[in-house]
Amino acid sequence: MNQILLITDGGSNVGESPVIAAAQAYAEGITVNVAGVVDDGSVGEQGAVEIAEIARAGGGMSRIVSTRLLSQTVQMMTRQTVQGTIRQAVNQELRQLLGVESVAELPPAKRAEVVRVMEDLSENSPLRVALLIDASGSMKPKLAAVEEAIRDLGLSLQARKGESAVAVFHFPGELSNEACMLDLDWTDAPSRLGAIFAKLRMKGTTPTGPALLRVVEFFRETCGKINTEPQQPTTLIKRDDNGGVRSDYVV
Amino acid sequence: MITSSEKQLPPGTVLRGKWNGKRYRLERLLGLGANGQVYLASNGSRTCAVKIGKETEDLQAEANVLASLDQRERRRPPFLLDVDDAELQGRRFPFYAMQYVPGSPVKTYLRQHGAQWFGVIGYRLLERLAELHEAGWVFGDVKSDNVLVSDYGRVALVDYGGATGIGRGVRQFTEIYDRGYWAAGSRTADPAYDVFAVAVLWIHALDGKRLLQLTRTLLPQNRHPRELVELVRTNPTLQPMESWLDRALYGRFQHAREAGEYWRALVHAAAHPKTAREGQVPGWMAGLLAASVLLCGTAAVIWFLH
Ligand SMILES: Nc1ncnc2c1ncn2[C@@H]1O[C@H](COP(=O)(O)OP(=O)(O)OP(=O)(O)O)[C@@H](O)[C@H]1O
Ligand SMILES: [Mg+2]
Repeated sequence: MNQILLITDGGSNVGESPVIAAAQAYAEGITVNVAGVVDDGSVGEQGAVEIAEIARAGGGMSRIVSTRLLSQTVQMMTRQTVQGTIRQAVNQELRQLLGVESVAELPPAKRAEVVRVMEDLSENSPLRVALLIDASGSMKPKLAAVEEAIRDLGLSLQARKGESAVAVFHFPGELSNEACMLDLDWTDAPSRLGAIFAKLRMKGTTPTGPALLRVVEFFRETCGKINTEPQQPTTLIKRDDNGGVRSDYVV
Repeated sequence: MITSSEKQLPPGTVLRGKWNGKRYRLERLLGLGANGQVYLASNGSRTCAVKIGKETEDLQAEANVLASLDQRERRRPPFLLDVDDAELQGRRFPFYAMQYVPGSPVKTYLRQHGAQWFGVIGYRLLERLAELHEAGWVFGDVKSDNVLVSDYGRVALVDYGGATGIGRGVRQFTEIYDRGYWAAGSRTADPAYDVFAVAVLWIHALDGKRLLQLTRTLLPQNRHPRELVELVRTNPTLQPMESWLDRALYGRFQHAREAGEYWRALVHAAAHPKTAREGQVPGWMAGLLAASVLLCGTAAVIWFLH
């Protein structure tokens, strides 16, 4: 199961449409969820519409929340998407095998069994979540909450029985032609990203569409493989301690 | 299907089970939650509670937990009574019927009957959780609303939406009761997860204002069990149980039974003035002492009658 979670606070303004990019992601088997973070004021009508559209195109869900509720929301969206993916797959099987539309049409005794299977699958299937963080200027005061949400998500994923990993990107990248930049390669234990976030140079552009497409490619390239080479996730995790060996994977 | 903001069903509404054919007359709303609505209902002359769900799968998952507990604990009457669908105004609602649990949430109970009851309630709650753990489940979503207390401190759990097989990721939890939120451990379901939440429950019930204040002001990176212990240390009602709360918050109870035993020992130790620290009996402990004297008295009378 592959998911992208986009965390943003407004509309895109550069490059291809994020809605089309999200549709492409979904076509490649990656569900796109969007958390719109706002504290004072709102994302604006246009931003809100775009956020909802990206999620709809990406087969996922969107929520507009305050920083205080971000961790909870991210955790909830990820979990519900996992369940949704499994339910869809199981319901499809049921259609083919039994000719019923969904588990809700089965008599309660059968339903109990099918739901048990769904729960096992939700718990045990491998899961990959790529977080794509909007690092435009207006997001700066919200990054602490984003960091906390990532730590919190890591905690929930670690508790699963199935193999789980997260990767973290921010956009725009540092160079003018990078849509986004990898901060953390697939890891099953994301820790504080403070060191990374502290160094971010916030820029004005918001190339949400190109960034989404780049993350889709990343899924393809890595096949979600957790890097276990010596200098990879472990050093990345401990980065705060030694003050910044950065994996210079620039995308 | 339905959301909590959606309107409630009026009293007198009759649900007719599509598969099992039972009829339930809804009497009044008992509670609303993230997963559905719970009504007091009657099935013939029998009173029960009916939970109407939003998602078939979520509701069925809860019913599965209840069914497995009923399987395990055959000595008591089953809690889960029926699982079915009902049709109302052309829409299908999944629901299940269960025993009606009288009582009020812990916080309300303590407000009405006095904080001195928390010794008894705490013991009963840990015993109940231990049973659940021994059946292979962790409750997960321990919080005031889900712990109903009836006469003389009897305890029952409701809302098994968070119940999780031991070793899996906790399915549903409430942030401030969550061990992971306080950087006190993982979110993997183990008995200590529930025991931690019980400790927070007591802080929430007896020092709620300061707890909520703390969650609002503390930076995420500073969340730590020591912050909770600090609250306990400076609250006269909680202080007698400090050593228990400390162990629970630091995950130093492997089992709820063990936690229950220790709780019991503290309750008794504090009830005996000689062994109590500085010979001083805190108010709530004195109340408990009176209750236990009364109980002993009753026991003696019964003994005589035999
Ligand atoms: N068997 C019962 N007997 C009496 N009251 C009950 C019973 N089950 C639930 N309730 C009441 O209904 C409320 C809501 O039920 P429940 O917690 O199961 O719903 P939920 O949608 O799972 O809620 P949550 O948002 O807490 O997950 C409970 O807090 C409790 O007050
Ligand atoms: Mg509840």
